[in-house]
Amino acid sequence: MTSVEAPAPGRTGERLDGARLAVLSHRFEAIVRRMSNTLARSGRSGVLNTARDFSCCVLTAAGEVLMTGDSPPIHVMGGPDLQARSMLEFYPRPRAGDAFLHNSPYHGNTHAADHSILVPVVDDDGVHRFTVLAKAHQADCGNSVPTTYMASARDVYEEGALIFPVVRVQDAYADCADILRMCEMRIRVPEQWRGDYLAVLGSARIGERALLQLADEVGWNTLSGFARDWLDYGEARMDAAIRALPEGVATTATRHDPFPGVPDGVPIQATVAVRPDAGMIEVDLRDNPDCVPSGLNLSEASSRTAALIGVFNSIDHTVPHNQGSFRRVRVRLRDNCVVGIPRHPFSCSVATTNLANRVGNIVQRAMAEIGTDMGLAEVGSGMSPSEAVVSGVDERTGAPFVNQIFIGPNGGAGGPAADGWLTMSDLGSGGTLLLDSVEIDELKQPIVIHRRHLAPDTEGAGRHRGAPGLEVEYGPLGGTIAAIYANDGSINPMMGAGGGLPGAPSAQLKRERDGTLRPVDICGPVHVEDGERLLARTSGGGGYGPPHTREPEAVARDVREGWITAARAREVYLVALDADGHPDPAGTARLRSAQVSD
Amino acid sequence: MASEASLRVSVDIGGTFTDLVVEREARLRLFKSPTVPDDPVLGILNVLGMAAAADGVPLEAFLGRVGSFAHATTRGLNAVLTGATARTALLTTAGHPDVLLLREGGRRDPFDFTTPFPEPYVPRSLTFEVDERVSATGAVLRPLDLAALERTCGLLIEAEVEAVAVCLLWATVNPAHEQAVGEVLTRRLPGVPHTLSHALNPSLREYRRASSTAIDASLKPLMSAYFDGLTARLRAAGLTGRVLMVTSAGGVADVADAIAMPILTINSGPSMAPVAGRAYAFTDLGADEVIVADAGGTTYDVTLVRKGEIPSTRSAWVGAEGTGHMTGLASIDVKSVGAGGGSIAWVDSGGLLHVGPRSAGSVPGPACYGRGGTAATVTDAALVLGYLDPDSFSNGSMTLDPAAALAAVTRDVGGPLGLDPVGAARAILELTTEQMVRAIEEITLQQGIDPGRAVLVGGGGAAGLNAVAVAARLGSRSLVVPAVGAALAAAGALMSDLTAVYSATVPAVTSAFDTGKVNRALAGLLARCREFVARMPGSGASITLYAEARYPQQIWELEVPLRVRAFEPGDVEEFETDFHAMHRQILGIADEASPVEVVSWDARVRVALPGSGATLTTRLADPRRPSMRRAFVAGHGMTDVPVRPLATIAPGERVPGPVLVESPFTTVVIADTTSTAELGPSGSLIINGGDAA
Repeated sequence: MTSVEAPAPGRTGERLDGARLAVLSHRFEAIVRRMSNTLARSGRSGVLNTARDFSCCVLTAAGEVLMTGDSPPIHVMGGPDLQARSMLEFYPRPRAGDAFLHNSPYHGNTHAADHSILVPVVDDDGVHRFTVLAKAHQADCGNSVPTTYMASARDVYEEGALIFPVVRVQDAYADCADILRMCEMRIRVPEQWRGDYLAVLGSARIGERALLQLADEVGWNTLSGFARDWLDYGEARMDAAIRALPEGVATTATRHDPFPGVPDGVPIQATVAVRPDAGMIEVDLRDNPDCVPSGLNLSEASSRTAALIGVFNSIDHTVPHNQGSFRRVRVRLRDNCVVGIPRHPFSCSVATTNLANRVGNIVQRAMAEIGTDMGLAEVGSGMSPSEAVVSGVDERTGAPFVNQIFIGPNGGAGGPAADGWLTMSDLGSGGTLLLDSVEIDELKQPIVIHRRHLAPDTEGAGRHRGAPGLEVEYGPLGGTIAAIYANDGSINPMMGAGGGLPGAPSAQLKRERDGTLRPVDICGPVHVEDGERLLARTSGGGGYGPPHTREPEAVARDVREGWITAARAREVYLVALDADGHPDPAGTARLRSAQVSD
Repeated sequence: MASEASLRVSVDIGGTFTDLVVEREARLRLFKSPTVPDDPVLGILNVLGMAAAADGVPLEAFLGRVGSFAHATTRGLNAVLTGATARTALLTTAGHPDVLLLREGGRRDPFDFTTPFPEPYVPRSLTFEVDERVSATGAVLRPLDLAALERTCGLLIEAEVEAVAVCLLWATVNPAHEQAVGEVLTRRLPGVPHTLSHALNPSLREYRRASSTAIDASLKPLMSAYFDGLTARLRAAGLTGRVLMVTSAGGVADVADAIAMPILTINSGPSMAPVAGRAYAFTDLGADEVIVADAGGTTYDVTLVRKGEIPSTRSAWVGAEGTGHMTGLASIDVKSVGAGGGSIAWVDSGGLLHVGPRSAGSVPGPACYGRGGTAATVTDAALVLGYLDPDSFSNGSMTLDPAAALAAVTRDVGGPLGLDPVGAARAILELTTEQMVRAIEEITLQQGIDPGRAVLVGGGGAAGLNAVAVAARLGSRSLVVPAVGAALAAAGALMSDLTAVYSATVPAVTSAFDTGKVNRALAGLLARCREFVARMPGSGASITLYAEARYPQQIWELEVPLRVRAFEPGDVEEFETDFHAMHRQILGIADEASPVEVVSWDARVRVALPGSGATLTTRLADPRRPSMRRAFVAGHGMTDVPVRPLATIAPGERVPGPVLVESPFTTVVIADTTSTAELGPSGSLIINGGDAA
């Protein structure tokens, strides 16, 4: 069992007023932004510079998450604190010039493909003041097969990734070169890894330097006071947000699709309790299966973070995301649980996507069950062939190629305030990832993207509908390509909330030369020959609220714009349209009153 | 007659004021008149009338002396932002109707589920698929179905569209299908303007190209009418000189070119500030690394000069980044934040102070305007601190209500934070300064400029309130506040040249460089530039070639100037060296073992206008005398501070801080005892050596 409660912050430092706190929070935000900018612009692999799958944050010396920046949420909520504390466990007195490589899912990291660098910020008297952390998903991490999401790994040995449980890679600002040589012998495309490693390290060092400069300007006493007061501010905002919620408890359940090693899929559940009187929310994930012989197991970091995302997606989004607000969410996890604390050597290779998305989704759906106009439906999930790693030989040059394409995201969830976000991708990314340009992808590898457009009638219907999935069809331009992915949601679709309907399931198919469509494997690899095409339909997001309460004008607009058909408007939303496509009030009233009286 | 074509004028229409700058014999004068939203040309004629009156001549006589009239307008921008453009259809390659809907993905705030997914620039119901397909190499994978296109034209006519945008995949490599579509549209929809993507913006990435194409087409009916009306009314009023339009790229274009490509003018508002900033920083201090901050009532626009050049971007957005619409064309790189005199200060439920993002604007305005606004704003805080003259605001056109400002600041900020009114007002200005610094740090970081080594140029009506504090916070060398700072953009238009940008998508890599192919592309660009020069009367034409280049696997290109007009053996290595140096400057590292990829080649042509290269100086007439006012000074509290009208400062005089320097449209606050101010050669105020307030 664990919780996200951190040790109490030091009670030292100057007390700051709300004006001084605001100014210094801007300075810390600027430091994190500068770290992120360095990482994004100097990174070489597509996963860094295109998808922007990385994060940067500043932690207190005790390991509390103080300031985070724009990043996929799965990276930065419930993990960096565990990592910083594991650093203190192995190196109780970190020194200026140290840098530690950390990618161990058994010591607080998300999954092995996320390489983190931790740098302690140490003052002139040798006192450890803060820790900065930069974390980036690598294009390769030394797995036994060329993918960083290895669903079929029965354990960490079969997964094969090099694991670094807080390993010093710089001492007195100089490289520990033997560690880097080991990596270069094991990680594919070592020069690309080396470039990305430098980008991550550079980002952490830039954060360190900026904090030292800020301390020169305002003094460590003020910065300590800021850290304490900023976390207290986060906690006060969270307290106020929770006190405004209704009290209640709800248990929600879902099931991950069958995968290698788990032929029946993985059933999971969450019990969420909102306690306004105490200003606390509790998420209990303990009543779930043991770890499984598959890469699906969550790390402790991704279990906690997924639960936190579900909670924070359900409340006032302006509450700061730091250890202060996290103190008001108690996440209960169990040892050796598939969505808890993994027991070595079970593999956590896909810990940031598949089950993490399922956990966050059922938590926000439970929030929707506890109160009206809160929570969220389920966000589309799964890495379909539209997000595959494609490889082959480019006949234009004779050179082999391997690259992850990112051409068709899943649909977002309907919520109390708005329809789902179309390019949401999944819960863990929060929609932050960018979408590939068709022209760029066709230039980079010998493929043709024949179609990419939204798939009508695949949205989870609701008062606020989920976003539909996309339909994408691509194939080789001469030659053969192989595609590896790790889909979910083609059997168990994304549920709606508060009377909203599920989104349409995702699908993966091959179009043969004669045009016939044939289903293909849920994970691949799939070989696609010249003249054949791979067809992916991504998950639609769940709807929020009963479809028959959706504004008829919004339904008419969806028909006019081709998001849904007129038949679906009539049968699911119970809206009658006139010949010009405008809502027919009398006809709609008849359809809707018949439904209500049913 | 000496009067013949002796004047050059420039007009910048802002949200509140229409600014006019008049140049005669390298001296500038500045006039401001309220913008007339329903009839912007009337606002122009009004401010021209003011200038004519100042010269004591009728408007017709005044206009008769004007050799050139340069104009920056936000009309196209406002039309896009408010959806007041033409009913526009989009034609795309079959299978890809959602290019404008999907944009490039991304989401700014992952926890915000209150913001709906943004609308596409052209609705799906007005998007039509064209059955055709070209590959990345330009090969035709599927021929154009002309019969289906004829049927689509029938649908366009039925839908009563007023403009058509055409953007087909890979039209930049093989434009044959787009050209054929254009011919059919001309025949079937005569009188309905269209834009072809390869002709407007031959660049890679279909979203950006489609977006620029759609915006351009949608502006054609409106902007043609506006430009025609403007020209006709100016001619009727007596203008005989040339009419020029300011472009987003920081140059001016002949009005005929602006009518053909109206998107060229869409970001013309902020594009001239760096042109003026560059001129003043160079004239007054010999500096070529400059940060130009233009502070208006609602926004704070930051632009840069790097080694004398103004950096541009192809990622400019109309509306919010990510949810607005990308213009896709080279545009001056501007970072805008909602921080201005009207920004509202408030304290949240956790006791944290915020400034903005809401703004009181000019209506209802700050509490001290007495126009119905009650919320505490940055202007109110400045009044509480004694930085503004309540009896003579904005050249005496307004009086301010200090009691209302005090009440608002006390109620909204002082009370909740437990601060006295002066402490609360200081906190508001300090946080505003921090937000301005954030904007500056963001763009300087992106463009690889060290703010500590650059000169800060402060312009705009609200510049003077924070500029000294911003410069101190950045550690800038010096701060320059031009005498025409309140109309920096309009002044810039008098210092700019006729420009055009052409580009060719001809990918190349330095490890396998196809010299023949690249040189053919460069020759084509040079020919287009020479054709532009031939059309433009002017002197001293210059053409610069650039590569949009990157390391393999990177996705964002850097713009690298070429040293040659055609590549010879040895030139490729020199180009690689230039790229590595630029990469190191902007991103801190270089990979010298790596080859360099070029995505496209650009040519920028510039034809100097008569007078644009001259040093433009300004001495403002101001009847006010030096005086004293109670104002806040760091370390001293509220105290008596000298007030010096700019016109009373003599060349060579060093004015020690604290001092408030007033010019007709702005007040420069020097609220510390370590800074000094003096006049520069152009008449600008130069401030050196302050501490952070």
